[in-house]
Amino acid sequence: MSQTLFLAISTLGLLAAVGTILARNLVHAGLYLVAFFFVVACQFILLEAEFLAVIQVLVYIGAVSILLMFGIMLTRNIQGDATTTVPQGWTLPALVAGLGLFLVLGFGINNHVGLKNKAAWSATATRPSSEIPKEGEASPRTLAINNMGQAVGIELVTRYVVPFEVAGLLLTAALVGAVALAYREGDDEGTNPAMRARAEFEPLDAPDQNRNGQPDSPGSASLTTTAKS
Amino acid sequence: MNFAAEWTLPVMWAQQQVELEWWTWLRWGLWLVLGFVGIFPGVVAYMVWAERKVAARFQDRIGPNRVGPLGLLQPIADAIKLITKENIVPRAADQVVHLMAPVLLLVSAFLVLAVVPFGFGTSQVDNPAHFNGFVPIDPPAGILYLIAVASVGALAIFLAGWSSRNKYSLLGAMRAVAQLVSYEVPQVLSIIPVILWTGSLSLVAIMNQQLDQGWFLWSPPGLLAFTLLMIANLAEVNRTPFDLPEAESEIIAGYHTEYSGMRFGLFFLAEYLSVFAVCALTTVVFLGGGSLPFVDYPRLFGTETNTAYLITNGLAIGITAAKILFLVFVMFWVRATLPRLRVDRLMNFAWKTMVPLSLANVLIAAIWYECVIRPGQPVQALGFSLPKPVLGWLITLPLVLALLWLVFWINRREWNAEVKAARTGLTRGGLPGIVR
Amino acid sequence: MIIYNYIFVGLLLIVAIGFALAPLVLVALVAPRKQSLAKQDIYECGVRTFGETWIRFRIQYYIYAIMFLVFDIETLFLYPWAVAYGGLGLFALVEMIIFLAVLFVGLAYAWSKGVLRWV
Repeated sequence: MSQTLFLAISTLGLLAAVGTILARNLVHAGLYLVAFFFVVACQFILLEAEFLAVIQVLVYIGAVSILLMFGIMLTRNIQGDATTTVPQGWTLPALVAGLGLFLVLGFGINNHVGLKNKAAWSATATRPSSEIPKEGEASPRTLAINNMGQAVGIELVTRYVVPFEVAGLLLTAALVGAVALAYREGDDEGTNPAMRARAEFEPLDAPDQNRNGQPDSPGSASLTTTAKS
Repeated sequence: MNFAAEWTLPVMWAQQQVELEWWTWLRWGLWLVLGFVGIFPGVVAYMVWAERKVAARFQDRIGPNRVGPLGLLQPIADAIKLITKENIVPRAADQVVHLMAPVLLLVSAFLVLAVVPFGFGTSQVDNPAHFNGFVPIDPPAGILYLIAVASVGALAIFLAGWSSRNKYSLLGAMRAVAQLVSYEVPQVLSIIPVILWTGSLSLVAIMNQQLDQGWFLWSPPGLLAFTLLMIANLAEVNRTPFDLPEAESEIIAGYHTEYSGMRFGLFFLAEYLSVFAVCALTTVVFLGGGSLPFVDYPRLFGTETNTAYLITNGLAIGITAAKILFLVFVMFWVRATLPRLRVDRLMNFAWKTMVPLSLANVLIAAIWYECVIRPGQPVQALGFSLPKPVLGWLITLPLVLALLWLVFWINRREWNAEVKAARTGLTRGGLPGIVR
Repeated sequence: MIIYNYIFVGLLLIVAIGFALAPLVLVALVAPRKQSLAKQDIYECGVRTFGETWIRFRIQYYIYAIMFLVFDIETLFLYPWAVAYGGLGLFALVEMIIFLAVLFVGLAYAWSKGVLRWV
């Protein structure tokens, strides 16, 4: 039963992926990609990795697709035209390359040899959650599947600490990169409307000096009179 | 298992290796049909009626009272009106996406309600002090599932604005998405203290932990997290004071300008369903969802016999509903009271005030955990033993207050700088400005 | 098994889509349909639309989306840590403080550079 479910979901995923490539309108392509992300989440659930499935939906559909849509909005060319379609002569080589990649991946994954002291993945015959507990105690695999958040948390701070901190640094680098993208030098006046207005109007008259040649004090511009003068 | 537990309304044990028999499918069918299609939309329709009455009373008028006694048939009249109106879709709009956007938003709101426990269900087999939860499903990563599904709504709003081919709709949708996305970070971060104290991502486990230890609200980091969560909830469902994306005076109607008739009705239903869903989440996570503060009542009757099961769960559902409706009333109250926030203040409030507060709150929650939850027996201090929560309050309350003061001090410097720049900027150069 | 939970989610998805589409089917059957040229236009306060429909947006939107992505992933790291916190010691707290500090430096940098301004 799970085999048919897998095949059905995979077919939907392939159709979504093909739709992404062939769609003319960029936002439609983005929507097909969102459907594909959802199909990947379903595949994670079929593999009993529900933590990964919800993370997939949260990060990809909740954040990355919005980023993608905003990025599309920043460009002008949303409706496809001659520059976004594949030229005629490239179709056959592209198909050959895709087929070649598929064959390499299929061969490589099927003939995978496990690490030292571990069997290859193809030797796993039972789902982790249906393993029969030995001696009244569940195996670490079953525990991990049933409470994946906790298993990931423990691993993150014991075994994978350095990649965890490096990931933090990577995220900060991405943030700093985004800031560098948006910041223009000397732009402090550019983003504040009051300062922009001041920069616009200053060359017209020179309010820095009033009648007596004294430097003007803030607040006593030439049109507003104050009690002092 | 007794007759009531098996047949009346379903509870699913996810961890047990049960084969799915036909009565499991029957139970799920009952939850789907009765609960999700029958009860929740009905509750939401009457929430709309309640909002109109409450807002009317705040404005010193009566509200709908023509259609039926007290205006109780008003939602039905509104539904009939919306269905019989013409469905006007601009010819240039993207027809498929235009249809899909409100459907996606409504689906997102429904899926959130699938993991919220409204009652206690039956006692757990291996730990009779804890319960299984009166909930359709209880995945081990329940809270993450809820947040993931709620974040799909932002995409739906963007699609609504984009597919209308109206530049004001698109502008409204981009602003709405920026707001939703900014307030999602504090919303998600403010649930982390609760996860820390529970040690599990499942909402039923959170409810059980509050049976053991009291509501998570009664602690300084809990209070701060509750406040942040309520503010972020208001922003996530686009309610005043955060309803800039859909305010009629601002940008026609934002992302649902080109939606008329029942399509607009779907947006409306989805918004109120989201209000209900986030209030339900807040109730379960902070207010204990079904438990009362000083009475040990779930264990008073137990759930062994049918009558005990019905009494316990009936009371639990009533109490949970009362708490949810109270939080919903607070949302109505805030809408009737506060004006709308300007968009730059809205974004600044999210990123510069709420995100630092919720990040630091996680650390204070860890300190509370160390003081209160981890030690097995009361802590010896100053020669006599303090009850654990007192020590926790003594340590974390000053920390929370200091954190609040620090964040508002940092922001105040920026606000003062902005006001000073506005004054000096406008009065120089001859423009009529703020007279000092 | 855990996967059974998500079968319910799939069923709920289908039922919810059906529930959302059912009123629209009703509308297609019941509501009047009178086409007119004015009704098919885009609404822009009652006057004819002015200019192109797609406008270039400011980069501010993109910056907020990227910041959201970074903080979303940060929360994703915080969640498993929070779940596992009960069984771990002081070392876990210190590591998480380092992680949060690194990300907070990013937020402070963006704040001080003035990129978090909306206008």
